[in-house]
Amino acid sequence: MKLTRRNFLAWAGLSAVGAVACEGFGIREGEFSLQSPVSLPEDLVRGKDNWYATLCRTCPSSEGIVVRVMEGRAKKIQGNPLYPINQGKQSARCEAGLQAMYHPERLAGPMRRSGGRGSGQFEPLDWTAALDIFKAELQQNGDNMLMVTEPLRGHMAKLVDRFTRAMGGQHLAFDAMDNIAYQAAVKNVFQQDSLPDFDLANTNFLLSFGADFLATWVSPTRWNLGYGEFRQGEGRKRGTFYQVDPRFSTTAASADQWVPVQPGWEGYLALSLAYVIISEGLQADGVDVGALTDGRGVGALDAFRPEIAGSRIGLPDRLRGETPAEFIVGLAREFATKGPSLAIGGGSAGAHTNGLFNLEAIYALNYLVGSVGAKGGIRFNPAPPIDDLPASADVASLADWFSAAEGLNGGRTKLVVVHQADPVHGLPGSLQFRDALNRDDLFIVSLSPFIDDTSALADLILPDRVALEDWGSDIPEPGPGYQILGVQQPVVNPLSDLDPRSSADVLLSMAGELGKQSELPWDRFEDMLKETSKELFELNRGSIKAGSADEFWNTMLQQGGWWDEKATSSARTNPPAGLFNTIAAKASEPRFPGLTPSRDTFHLVPFSHISLLDGQNAHLPWLQAVPDPLTTIAWQTWLEINDEDAARLGVREGDVVVVSSTARTSIRVPVYPTPAVPPKVVSIPLGQGRRDGPDAATGRRASESSNVMDILEPSQVEGTGAFAWANTTVTLTPTGTSIKVSKFEGIVRAVEIGNTEAERIIITVTPEEL
Amino acid sequence: MRPSAKMLTLGLVGLTVTVVVGFLIAVLLISWFSNPPFGLGNAPPQPIAFPHTVHAGSTADGGMGIQCEFCHRNVTRGDAATVPAVEQCLFCHKTIGGTEDTAKTEIAKVRQSFEENDPINWERVHRLPDHVRFIHEAHIRFFTDPDQPTRTGINGESIGQPLTVAETCSVCHGDVAKMTEVQPKQGQSLKMGTCLDCHRNNNVATDCTVCHK
Amino acid sequence: MVTQRVDHKWGMVVDLDRCTGCQACVVACQSENNLPINTKDLFLQRRAYEWIRIERYWEGEFPDVKARFIPIMCQHCENAPCEPVCPVFATYHNDEGLNVQVYNRCVGTRYCANNCPYQVRFFNYWEPVWPERLRNHLNPDVTVRSRGIMEKCSFCIQRIRRAEVTVERRERSNLDYATMKKRNFLPACVSACPTNALNFADQADASGPVKEYFDDVNEHPHNEAHDRKTRGYRLLEEMGTKPNVIYLKKVDPFPLRKGVGHGS
Repeated sequence: MKLTRRNFLAWAGLSAVGAVACEGFGIREGEFSLQSPVSLPEDLVRGKDNWYATLCRTCPSSEGIVVRVMEGRAKKIQGNPLYPINQGKQSARCEAGLQAMYHPERLAGPMRRSGGRGSGQFEPLDWTAALDIFKAELQQNGDNMLMVTEPLRGHMAKLVDRFTRAMGGQHLAFDAMDNIAYQAAVKNVFQQDSLPDFDLANTNFLLSFGADFLATWVSPTRWNLGYGEFRQGEGRKRGTFYQVDPRFSTTAASADQWVPVQPGWEGYLALSLAYVIISEGLQADGVDVGALTDGRGVGALDAFRPEIAGSRIGLPDRLRGETPAEFIVGLAREFATKGPSLAIGGGSAGAHTNGLFNLEAIYALNYLVGSVGAKGGIRFNPAPPIDDLPASADVASLADWFSAAEGLNGGRTKLVVVHQADPVHGLPGSLQFRDALNRDDLFIVSLSPFIDDTSALADLILPDRVALEDWGSDIPEPGPGYQILGVQQPVVNPLSDLDPRSSADVLLSMAGELGKQSELPWDRFEDMLKETSKELFELNRGSIKAGSADEFWNTMLQQGGWWDEKATSSARTNPPAGLFNTIAAKASEPRFPGLTPSRDTFHLVPFSHISLLDGQNAHLPWLQAVPDPLTTIAWQTWLEINDEDAARLGVREGDVVVVSSTARTSIRVPVYPTPAVPPKVVSIPLGQGRRDGPDAATGRRASESSNVMDILEPSQVEGTGAFAWANTTVTLTPTGTSIKVSKFEGIVRAVEIGNTEAERIIITVTPEEL
Repeated sequence: MRPSAKMLTLGLVGLTVTVVVGFLIAVLLISWFSNPPFGLGNAPPQPIAFPHTVHAGSTADGGMGIQCEFCHRNVTRGDAATVPAVEQCLFCHKTIGGTEDTAKTEIAKVRQSFEENDPINWERVHRLPDHVRFIHEAHIRFFTDPDQPTRTGINGESIGQPLTVAETCSVCHGDVAKMTEVQPKQGQSLKMGTCLDCHRNNNVATDCTVCHK
Repeated sequence: MVTQRVDHKWGMVVDLDRCTGCQACVVACQSENNLPINTKDLFLQRRAYEWIRIERYWEGEFPDVKARFIPIMCQHCENAPCEPVCPVFATYHNDEGLNVQVYNRCVGTRYCANNCPYQVRFFNYWEPVWPERLRNHLNPDVTVRSRGIMEKCSFCIQRIRRAEVTVERRERSNLDYATMKKRNFLPACVSACPTNALNFADQADASGPVKEYFDDVNEHPHNEAHDRKTRGYRLLEEMGTKPNVIYLKKVDPFPLRKGVGHGS
């Protein structure tokens, strides 16, 4: 038939009718996808929902959450409005606890290695057999055991400590970007064992050094809550915020002024500010400068005069049109006079050879402006309500990992038990931890519910329950300034096709069977929590009023924890004598042990990914799909580089470069040029580059998903042994290849081009215009 | 007269068109009336032959006269009427084992389900597509509310007195108490038009988002 | 008797001075509204979408450089450009100030998306796929949109409806801001936002956080913007779409371009 226009229309019409008609044979099953999909557990009723309080475990800050449960399925996670740390708010990461639970690649049950180590071949076995193997290994090699966990606080910390002690082994908690230097600085400057809280809501001038506290640092949701009030809280003046940071982080983007410095020179800037404050007599009323400097006054800080420091710390020549020295003086005056002021530091500032000095210098500034223990300043946390519950995660330092690797290589460690930590992915490549584990005379037990780089090497996998199915507790660090214990309860049961078992219960049953009841007298983890609940009930104070221990326990589960707003810290706020002298004496320049800085090298400032963090969340599709706020890149690694440096190298967005340090391996990363990277500095996020595990974590090429840890120099923060992850220098070599960058923004760089107010997307005003 | 080639072609085309159009009409009619929620489909087989006549039927008819909301507990409280948990069946069936053989076997299934902690997978009779929200509680509240001056039934009939819960249920579901096996076709044809008519007659909101989500 | 419907008019106020671009709203929305997972392929096809997204704009050059974040969701315009172009009335304005998308009416012409100046309407080019087990966390209160259908932010209409039915009609009490907040009826992004940059309430609710701004911005339309007492403005205001979302200007004590873009 000849295809005329009329024919064509007729046929098109007919086929459309046909298509509609065939569709019409019933409602497509696709329209019924929400209705209860599976067999109903009997205690659950169709069509009704409940919200249960528990704790989130997708970030180390373990915020309080409530979970919407319907028909035995968790549907939604929100912040727990009662929980003092996050007060109903949440981070982008919290929500993904759902995906961890219903992840298609969750391990269904115990597995034993059936191929070569690291081959990824496992065969399933039942729990009785699996636990028998575990027990035999513990019996034989318990005293040569290395137990590796995530940073632990609360009951799990107590359990694991006692377990390793009872077995005679060693416990190391793994954190890729640890806070050891920060904790040491807090100890040295404030004599505190736990991290302090910041009263951002009442701060007027905030000076932050290197801490990406609005995205990933320590307790971001809590800081965000305070930050909102700091900016536009009711009944207060808008606060001013300077971020000193060699990288233009999300936090720096929110600052009123970003102050780029050379990596590692934050402490010099801090002492330079102290110099100006003391020399101009701007310290707060009642601050005894004599005591702080052992009577030497400003002379103690003579080496940090703005004229000297300004040129050394690498401030840009004309930042806001001022010379470095002018800028420092101006900043110091603002900081000292616009109180309540607060200086905080962490992140890359503490991750240099001189990191401890940097952080001590930064936190000491708070004494000069009188914000230690004051409104709008630093708030100390009291000791936990129950004595033997660790409130501060005892994280292993790089030095500890070096000796652990030695123990493995020397054949002294015979048994490794890993719980929800991935040191193979997260330790610097030059430590060669993968090789250290890859030994035939070693038995590795993984308690992870997912395959990751470490559990892929395991001999035996005993999958743990995920957070929403398990008991737990947390003493948040930092706390809200008063005593608190958060409680995690199972809000749903695992799906019927999964057979995980709570690792805490596994450890307790092992201890029981090996006759260690004296150390671990509990049958189940829940009993341990209940015992604490009883102790808290007997304290008879705090947020829960209950007539009986049972009522107390139920209320505690309902509220998500217990806290006592009156139980605050009684710590004194007197500075150690001669604090500034001590710190100034400690002053040292950052040393870069790797490549010697030259014209062709760049400082590498790695950072924690906003949703994947160090890679612990890399298997969760939602968190892979979260666009980085600054680059809008998702699912890939990238290298942030200054526009001009990129032009000099001849690379454009998506071009792959080889990034090399002195480490054995180098990595390939696509570049993303931005206007906001200081010259000679590049940044790469952690999180990608997993070798083993679910598709979301691994299913990409090495040039788009690489692990920056592979090339970091394994140097340590002097005085702490912590990992100095920010002092690597690298060279960049273009490969000539390029990839498509998977990002959310458009093809053209989004720049405000509006010349009149009406054309602008984001309109700004100055405070004076208000 | 031999038909001309032209007539033949026309005839053939006409025939084809008739067949095609007829087929399409048939398809549309079948699809329109065969959808379970629309009233003419057959109920799916249930794992247990549960007779509503025995449970909800009036005592005069030999039933137990149990009220609808005794089992469908959520119907006066929330969106879904909800199917009772097996525990609830055991309220009575712990002691009532049935007298006839069929009843005995079916009740045994209920008890077994309870003992083995294995849920009964009841099949849904009235299914709503995902994009529709229906709140049972709101409808029962409306028809049973004594403060409500007028109310109009689903077929436009005026109802003076407030209804009981059971009467309200039967407005849409038909007289379930008389159904051994609940059949959608014995109730109302629940098309969107039916919903809209009733909403209009009763002067309640007809904004799309009232029902669609 | 049937409780008379309260004529709500919902509005959102976004304080740009509080927003830190943390993406909490984005994930909260994806979870609440059954958004398909944005896979890498979707990003590469430029078909990844989020009902609420954080846009980032650069300003200046190193070292005086700024990046600013703005959360953008459906603006629920009073004069919505998307509405008159829909041939099947799948999108319309309801009496609560919401721009509504009726999925089962939509035939996927995409006219509305083309006519939307804010680019907040998204077309399902593909059938949304979840691995079987992940379907367990789908929100039963929100339709899963199939291929060929337009979708967009609904101000979490399912939560608003639940609020109205539960509080106003069942309990016959007043649905004020405090109730919305306490009983979790605020949109998912608002309840997630850790800095309280997102605020949502009835525009007439004096106890709520938005009335002040809507009054001010409505009283002083675009051409009198300099008379406004608050920091409120509407996005692309000169187009006259009258969004039910108001943004509050970012405060910047150190503007890069003096004399440009600062009121008077």
